[in-house]
Amino acid sequence: MASLSGVAERARGGLRLRRPTGASVRHGIATVLALAVALAVLPQVLSLYYIDAMMQVAVYAIVALGLGVLVGRVGLYSLGQAAVLAIGAWVAARILFASSLPFPIVLLAAGAVTMVLGTLVGAPALRMRGLYLALITLMLAGAITVVLATTNFPNGGHGFLGYNGSLLHIPPIRRPAIATSDPAYFRYAVVVAALMFLLVLVHLRTRPGRAWAAIRQSEPAALAAGINVTLYKLWAFALASFITGVAGGVLAGAVHYLYSIDFQTQDSITLLAVVLMGGAYSAWGAIVAALLLELLPAILHNAGVSADWLTILFGVGVLGALTTAPAGIVDQFPKDMARLGRLLTRLARQLGRRRPALERGR
Amino acid sequence: MPSWQDFQPFIVSGLALGGVYALSGVGIVVLYRATGVVYLAFGAVGAMGALIAWSLINHAHAPQWLAWIVCILFGALVTLAYGTVFGPALAKRPPLVKAVATLGLMLVLFGAMDLLWTTSGGASRALTLPTDNDTFMIGQVQVNYTQVIALALGIVIAAATGAFLRYTGLGTAMRAVANDREIAGTLGVPVRRVEAVAWFGCGVLAGAAGLLLADLVALDATTLTFLVISSLAAALIARLRSIAWTVVAALVVGLVHDLLTPIQSLTNYRDMTPFVLAALALLALSGRQVMSLSREEA
Repeated sequence: MASLSGVAERARGGLRLRRPTGASVRHGIATVLALAVALAVLPQVLSLYYIDAMMQVAVYAIVALGLGVLVGRVGLYSLGQAAVLAIGAWVAARILFASSLPFPIVLLAAGAVTMVLGTLVGAPALRMRGLYLALITLMLAGAITVVLATTNFPNGGHGFLGYNGSLLHIPPIRRPAIATSDPAYFRYAVVVAALMFLLVLVHLRTRPGRAWAAIRQSEPAALAAGINVTLYKLWAFALASFITGVAGGVLAGAVHYLYSIDFQTQDSITLLAVVLMGGAYSAWGAIVAALLLELLPAILHNAGVSADWLTILFGVGVLGALTTAPAGIVDQFPKDMARLGRLLTRLARQLGRRRPALERGR
Repeated sequence: MPSWQDFQPFIVSGLALGGVYALSGVGIVVLYRATGVVYLAFGAVGAMGALIAWSLINHAHAPQWLAWIVCILFGALVTLAYGTVFGPALAKRPPLVKAVATLGLMLVLFGAMDLLWTTSGGASRALTLPTDNDTFMIGQVQVNYTQVIALALGIVIAAATGAFLRYTGLGTAMRAVANDREIAGTLGVPVRRVEAVAWFGCGVLAGAAGLLLADLVALDATTLTFLVISSLAAALIARLRSIAWTVVAALVVGLVHDLLTPIQSLTNYRDMTPFVLAALALLALSGRQVMSLSREEA
């Protein structure tokens, strides 16, 4: 019963009007600063190589955010998000080749189709919980990978699949007219990512967010409190699929050419690993996860270090996150820094106390 | 539609593959029942063992039997070490977290394998067992002894494990720990030791499965690492409980997978077999969801 009253309290707490606290103001300032740096500074100072990497960061931040909502907010572990991203990219590429619709419409369409597919697949899977749900999403990701390996991504061919294996000149997937260059498209991707973050934050601040919090605490208690558990779980799946689908569309434009070999089952696993490392409970965690996943390999590649070290690091990171830092780097890093700070001040104070003693001894 | 003739060889290879899936599936089910851990690094451990065996044979010119033993021991020791370090640390967490943690081990091994046995540009490796060349005929189909060993080992190990859990003291202790870790401990069952045995046994099976799959399928880190998903499918169809059903499901998965090979329109999709079968079985078997206050009953 304790958890039941906890849920009710949480729901009531959520209904109260939020007054801006110190923390939320700080977060707001940090967000504006981060956006300003990403939009104005980064495209100016970075080389094309790193702009490419940062485009991927923008894409994967959206994907990580979607997975973070599922894992951190609702407690649904999905091991198939990379496959969902592949579906989004496929749909977007198909529409972009088939029509001259404006890019934002294509992104929305890719998100919507992915959402419908994700929800159709998710609906029966949601009868399963916990471990079984995670394993079934792993199975589905495996199945989607196999299908994509056979159908391939659209490359300007005809028919429903839009793939023509004997094309000599493969046309690139187009970008929006206002953002054809790499720096411009990077800005475009950041704006799309910011909008997706906003969409998710609105959800978290309103009714669905409170329902998810209740479900994560205890499903039976949430049910008893009058929350439609299945509806809100599906809602979370739909939201995550939608933004991941949009991210797939952005990815299609970013890389120009899509190959099924680039979407492997292990990507879904690495994705979950970085989300757990970055922190599944906060939006900043999603950005950290994306930086780990896309920027770090680019830096290491530049330094001539094998990407395999990263895979190993991610493995260690998962184990570390699960055993010692369940809220990820975003949560653990400030704590560790604070602890380090306290340690240093204590050391300094001890030194300060000892020095007069030494001087007196002399 | 291909004729019956075309299917015959695939029945043999399918049963052999199914046998190894059964072997792996039993390992996964037993460990899950004893410790509550779905060991997703099963394939990676076997793959690395097989690669070490390959290096021993091809570079250190070690005798083959030694390489096989090293492969199996590697699987057992890595698994035992993981279980000893992370088993108790995660014992009170939900099964989901325990399973995801083994993904960490899988990533570590996967990265290490890619680093130590680079695939790009290198010639493809092969690990062949001497039993590959001993063949006999059933009807018009050639069968080699590796395939016989794979099928037989799957069934024998499953039967032996079932008997072990049912008739021996240690097996009873394992079932007790599986039922309730706390109460079993209170009643004097040496929980840690029993769990260590389960980890070790699972690791032995991982090493053996890696060796056989390296021969039957391919000696490739990625392939072998993710073949665990196929064995997992069999274990899932058996709802991670029944050893007998795991064997049946594994044989069906192996058979269906290989029998799709000669069918032109489906051959590209045959790798989906375990996923589709597991998904369908889970959805069909899940029935009405029963809610309980425990946060995770899986």
